[in-house]
Amino acid sequence: MKILKLLSKIRNCIIVGLLIFMALPVFGAEIFFDSKTPTITSGAQFQVDLLLNTENKSINAVEGKVIFPSEILELKEIKSGNSIINFWVNKPKIKQNGQVIFSGITPGGYKGKSGLLFSLIFLAKNQGQGTLEVNNARTLLNDGKGTEAPLSIFSYQFNISQEVENQTPPPNINGNLILNNLPDTEPPEAFVPKIARNPSIFGNKWFLIFETQDKGSGIDHYEVKEVRHPSFGIFSNWVQAGSPYMPSASPLLLKDQELRSYIFVKALDKAGNEKIAMLSPKNSLPWYENYDNWLILIIIIVIILIVSIVTIRLLLKRAKISRKYIRKKD
Amino acid sequence: MKKKQKNIFIFLFIFFLGSIFLISYNALFAASEAVINATIKISVCGNNIKEDGEQCDVNDFGGATCQSLGYAHGTLFCKPSCEFNISNCTSGGGGGGVGSVSSSPTAVNFSGRAYPASTVSILEDGQLAKTVMAGSDANFNASLSGLTSGNYTFAVYSEDNQGRRSSLDTFPVILTKGETTTVSNIFISPTIAVDKSEVVKGDNLVIFGQSAPGSDITISINSQQEIFVNAKADDTGAYLYNLNTNSLDLGQYITKSKAGLNGELSPFSEAVSFTVGAESILNQSEGCSLKGDLNNDCHVNLVDFSIMAYWYNKANPPANIDLNNDGQIDLFDFSITAFYWTG
Repeated sequence: MKILKLLSKIRNCIIVGLLIFMALPVFGAEIFFDSKTPTITSGAQFQVDLLLNTENKSINAVEGKVIFPSEILELKEIKSGNSIINFWVNKPKIKQNGQVIFSGITPGGYKGKSGLLFSLIFLAKNQGQGTLEVNNARTLLNDGKGTEAPLSIFSYQFNISQEVENQTPPPNINGNLILNNLPDTEPPEAFVPKIARNPSIFGNKWFLIFETQDKGSGIDHYEVKEVRHPSFGIFSNWVQAGSPYMPSASPLLLKDQELRSYIFVKALDKAGNEKIAMLSPKNSLPWYENYDNWLILIIIIVIILIVSIVTIRLLLKRAKISRKYIRKKD
Repeated sequence: MKKKQKNIFIFLFIFFLGSIFLISYNALFAASEAVINATIKISVCGNNIKEDGEQCDVNDFGGATCQSLGYAHGTLFCKPSCEFNISNCTSGGGGGGVGSVSSSPTAVNFSGRAYPASTVSILEDGQLAKTVMAGSDANFNASLSGLTSGNYTFAVYSEDNQGRRSSLDTFPVILTKGETTTVSNIFISPTIAVDKSEVVKGDNLVIFGQSAPGSDITISINSQQEIFVNAKADDTGAYLYNLNTNSLDLGQYITKSKAGLNGELSPFSEAVSFTVGAESILNQSEGCSLKGDLNNDCHVNLVDFSIMAYWYNKANPPANIDLNNDGQIDLFDFSITAFYWTG
């Protein structure tokens, strides 16, 4: 009887122990929101940051989908300039109304408690309560195998109160919301575009690769132009990478597969600051095909002609004067 | 006649200037081997109109005030350089003023230990920014300047005298405008290799690599219970350990190492695998073969990322790009690339 009671006690202890163990939070990475705006009023703009806590693990890849209530919030801007993500596979963008998808990597991994993934700037359209959530999120360990790290996601609940009359409009400089930050006046960082080719893409044709960062407002877009004659480059237009005229951004299939063109890549941030990088042609043009050489040649010939004419005229004039002088003397 | 001559001279002068401009313009383009980075901004500072690239212009602040810039009180002024002068803006309680923005460059310095006379590579946000040589004592120093303020992820790795690379050590750093940040006491992880990919149980397996001279090397061998053994790096930083596999069961193992010197510890190296089995197979040198090096240029960088990005979520990707062999290019493949990244 005593043994049975003892066994029963042991069983109960095991069950309680198991329940306590199961109730403990799973140790893993965390994705959470943070906002410096304590109260949100209708008609005002506010910023919410999406952050990553790696819980002392090294994480090198993140993806997910932010869901926001589009009936009360309007997404005005996505800022990714100061992100811990170095290369975006999917730069944060609106997929459909109320959804922002993102995925990217940090070479070598990130380890920290509050790594900024990106910031969302919303306009509170209407009064009401809402929640920002992250769905289909995934964080991968920097272990060379792509092992998925356990992940906890914390949603963000907010309340939009009634619009306050005579409310000061949010500061706006150069058309950009600044939300207590200095406006971005610094251009994107210097970068070096590369050309490469590989049998796996574009049928082994030459393509262009470019990527830079802007720590202020973030990169808005890139523009590219290929010109064979740099002196005439000012007459050719920049084409936006990713536009209907140039659907793909980096990697970008080069128009000049002979690699005889100068390639210019312009990175523009969201505040309009720009940085231009140039690649010299791999193969130079024969001298007679280079318009610049012809232009220089023509200019030199014209100069020689003019100098010759002026010199001849001066000599003639001098001869005339000397003849006059001799005649006078005679 | 005099007027005619004057006109000719003016004409000549303009042509001369034009040709000089064109010649120098072309010479500049021809000489530039790699890249010219230029910032083009068209604005006139001092015309009392705030234009693109200007924070303010004389009395035109574009609506900005001390309060809109996050300060509690004060009057905003405009510098002659058309930047905000926030020296009279105060943050709360009417206390001390906030200093104006410094004009010294924003920079970051790195120092630490690698391997004797090795090449140390510094990556800035995943892109190779600088390579420096470590001294014969394995110490290195590097500096990056001309940076903007903000969050950066710097990474450092080195290559030993046999061309083996260390793992990538990353440092998230927040740079402040006009300040130099120092990242010191970096201790790059040792390199590691094994002489056999498969070893007969009972035979010796040689585990070797390089670290800073005189380092105490701790080698971990994972089995049912993790085994730790020690070695000492010699004057050239080389270390070697003969592992008797008698005590190991048949199966696959991974081994990694870390170094310690003067109370400082390096992170663990990359892990290398070996099998205790029925035969001994010597490890063949595979050149620079790196997982994720899709264009076989001995580097894993933006080119490989771009090739992979081209196939992202596309059907039937080439087998060499699908790094985890699951028939698709997704975040898992990018994660593997990020691990082997060299910049």
